[in-house]
Amino acid sequence: MLSVLIWVPLIGAAIVAWWPGEISSLHLRRVTLAITVGLLVWNIAIVTQFNPDLDGMQLSEYVPWIEQIGFNYQVGIDGISLPMVCLNSLLTVVAIYSSDRHIDRPRLYYALLLLINFGVTGTFLAQDLLLFFLFYELELIPLYFLIAIWGGERRAYAATKFLLYTALSGILVLASFLGVVWFSGAATFGYEPLREAVLPLGTQIILLSGLLVAFGIKIPFFPFHTWLPDAHVEASTPISVLLAGVLLKMGTYGLLRFGLGLFPEAWQVLAPWLATWAAVSALYGALAAISQKDMKKVVAYSSIAHMAFILLAFAAATPLSLVASVCQMVSHGLISGLLFLLVGVVGKKTGTRDVDQLRGLLNPERGLPLIGSLMILGAMASAGIPGMVGFIAEFMLFRGSFPVFPVQTLLCMVGTGLTAVYFLLMINKVFFGRLSERVENLPRVYWSDRLPAVALAIAVVIFGLQPNWLVRWSEHNTNSLMLGARRSQNIGLVNQVNQTMTLPMANSGVIDN
Amino acid sequence: MVSINLKPSKHPLAEYIYHLEAGAAMLQDSPGNVLEVVGILKSYGIVLDAYYRNLIYIADHQFLVLFPFFKYFNGEVSVDKLLRHWWHDRINFEYAEYCMRAMMWHGGGGLDSYLDSPEFKALAEKAIEAKLKGNFVMLSLHKLFPEFLPEQIRQLCYYSALGQFWRVMSDMFIDLSDRYDRKEITSIPQVVQHIQDGLVAAANNPITYQVTINGQVYEIIPPSVGLTFLMDTAVPYVEAVFFRGTPFPGTISYNAQAAQIPLEQSDFIYGALYADPLPIGGAGIPPTLLMQDMRHFLPPYLHDIYRRGRREEDDLRVQICQSFQKSMFCVTTAAIRGLAPHPLDTSDPDQQRANRIYLETWMNRFIPSRLVDVNRGEM
Repeated sequence: MLSVLIWVPLIGAAIVAWWPGEISSLHLRRVTLAITVGLLVWNIAIVTQFNPDLDGMQLSEYVPWIEQIGFNYQVGIDGISLPMVCLNSLLTVVAIYSSDRHIDRPRLYYALLLLINFGVTGTFLAQDLLLFFLFYELELIPLYFLIAIWGGERRAYAATKFLLYTALSGILVLASFLGVVWFSGAATFGYEPLREAVLPLGTQIILLSGLLVAFGIKIPFFPFHTWLPDAHVEASTPISVLLAGVLLKMGTYGLLRFGLGLFPEAWQVLAPWLATWAAVSALYGALAAISQKDMKKVVAYSSIAHMAFILLAFAAATPLSLVASVCQMVSHGLISGLLFLLVGVVGKKTGTRDVDQLRGLLNPERGLPLIGSLMILGAMASAGIPGMVGFIAEFMLFRGSFPVFPVQTLLCMVGTGLTAVYFLLMINKVFFGRLSERVENLPRVYWSDRLPAVALAIAVVIFGLQPNWLVRWSEHNTNSLMLGARRSQNIGLVNQVNQTMTLPMANSGVIDN
Repeated sequence: MVSINLKPSKHPLAEYIYHLEAGAAMLQDSPGNVLEVVGILKSYGIVLDAYYRNLIYIADHQFLVLFPFFKYFNGEVSVDKLLRHWWHDRINFEYAEYCMRAMMWHGGGGLDSYLDSPEFKALAEKAIEAKLKGNFVMLSLHKLFPEFLPEQIRQLCYYSALGQFWRVMSDMFIDLSDRYDRKEITSIPQVVQHIQDGLVAAANNPITYQVTINGQVYEIIPPSVGLTFLMDTAVPYVEAVFFRGTPFPGTISYNAQAAQIPLEQSDFIYGALYADPLPIGGAGIPPTLLMQDMRHFLPPYLHDIYRRGRREEDDLRVQICQSFQKSMFCVTTAAIRGLAPHPLDTSDPDQQRANRIYLETWMNRFIPSRLVDVNRGEM
């Protein structure tokens, strides 16, 4: 069942790339859309089969591959990967729908989009460390080309920078994974067997540090973030949606699954530093966003700030904060996807994203009133206004993290407060006042421009009003990560510092109350 | 064209002064402008017809009705009309009332003076007594607040006066459209001439107002007061609605952010000739109601032009407002020509000088207006 999600996009990419005879861009778009909508429906079928009350992986599939080195095709889904896979499916449909109908080299474009979907889905479903690494690396190539071919003026620079940074991330992931297998003496790259492995604390810290830098580049956290604003600014709108919505989540997912999952003792040693890192990254992202003039850069730096909250939740590692971290991943995926879509429409219709040149776009007749209204909604959701998914995620996250790291949590809350500052500054300049002269005669906005953003906005509100539909999938699995950490304490690998840290963790089971 | 008898004007809008002296209009003459102006005035004429009928109905049949719930129904209340009213796909009679209140607020002309006279007070008092006969509660309240009901009647006088003014204008604009359809009108100066002729023909029409209470007629503005169409309704209307505008929240909402709301009543310059068409469509902005009404009655040839715009029909009301503004400069040209101290084509140097001073005075008022913009053909 899960393999369909992985391999159909690859087959689809091959069909799109080698479809016999001439085929128009519009037809290719329809074919690709049909494939991805089919995958979304398949995803919904998987959701109906998934039992959120069970621990461990479900719907697992195992095919021996290169057994000599312990490398097998092993996939499965749990409450952490399920929301990610669904988010990936949804945003891929949104990205394809919002792609330019008459794009150049459509075969290559749509094939690469399907390849990204293939790589990302595989990353979230892989239960073998090497398989995870392969999918993790595979997604870089199509994304590189999508930025380098269909990007803006400085696309070559941005694509190369992206490739260099994320390739380094891949190398560090591989080195850490090889280290885990090497030092544990395991005969397999399987995830579950390696969780049982016992490693000295020093080794754990070294290997975990590698993963932290690797995924820290991918997510990205300050100071490894410099590739992201360039990549967003140069990427086309659908690629930005995917990049912010899903691809960054591969980093946070990897950190949760492999950082906390494989090295719980080392994690607790480093946790105070990680929480501080999260606070610094959140404040840096927010302050940098305030000073931006390009709307896309504002949203990009906002991403850096909001992804840092997830690191805070991981560092606290309470049951509530971990559920909240998964929730925040989905929340950020939906909200940043929405914001990038809206910024894309503004850029497409006005020819600029410069906040100093735009004004009054809420004008009901000549402006972009619905786009502006959705932008306000997106900004409110991002700032954590109740009634939208951003509030649910951030409230749980800060509530879950505060008992463990109060100072860092408060600093991150300042960061979320600053969200309102930079988005309202941007919205006030771009959407209020009289329409500026250069945008007095904008082209018409069609419903096809608005539809993807409306769909994401509806999701943002629905999950805000009914958060249980989002949270219930992850609770059991995040709790099992906690149990792994506690079990490690019992076998004496955790020092006194860690024990003092676990006290608030044990007492902070807010979600059970 | 510069008159050979006069020195060139140093006025920033000297170009328009020369146009007027040469018999042209303030709006450039072009086939596109003729089509737009005539087309929009046709739809305006249809809307004005509905407005004036309602204004006259309110003045005549809602006299001192303190809760006039069905004042926009012209006496025909039905469930269908009620639903249509709430659905708002109807003539927005509220706009007519905004204009009426603008006239009343800004005053001017003989009507304003008459409504402050003892003669009006005496006639109004008679009508009030007749209306409230046997209604002791209202009579007591009238004794307690003796200025309240006369003020209501003053307002009803403006209802009636504006209704009478628009009755003439509506016929004039429909007639203009008919002449355009018959190819008798082909240029902007002809449009202006048509309006000027209409204003002159109706200039001395009497403006009167009487109400019937219990079968007896009560004069409120008797013919003996001598109020006339041109000087007592047309000129105050142009002053209030074209040059000053409606002092209501919403009209100038965006200007409020720039602290542009004038403190003095006489400093209001938010009339039709100054209005920025872009805020049209915003909630609570009265001109939006007029544009909303006119969009239902656009002649097909004008509607096609709007559909070919970059936003197609998305900004229909803004496009209507832009055309409407052009047409209002034609009406204003007709008024300026009609009120000039001497014929503008005079060859007498003294008369030319007097006309030049007259036109420069007008042009001072046009400096902050949209005159240059409508002729630039921008947006």
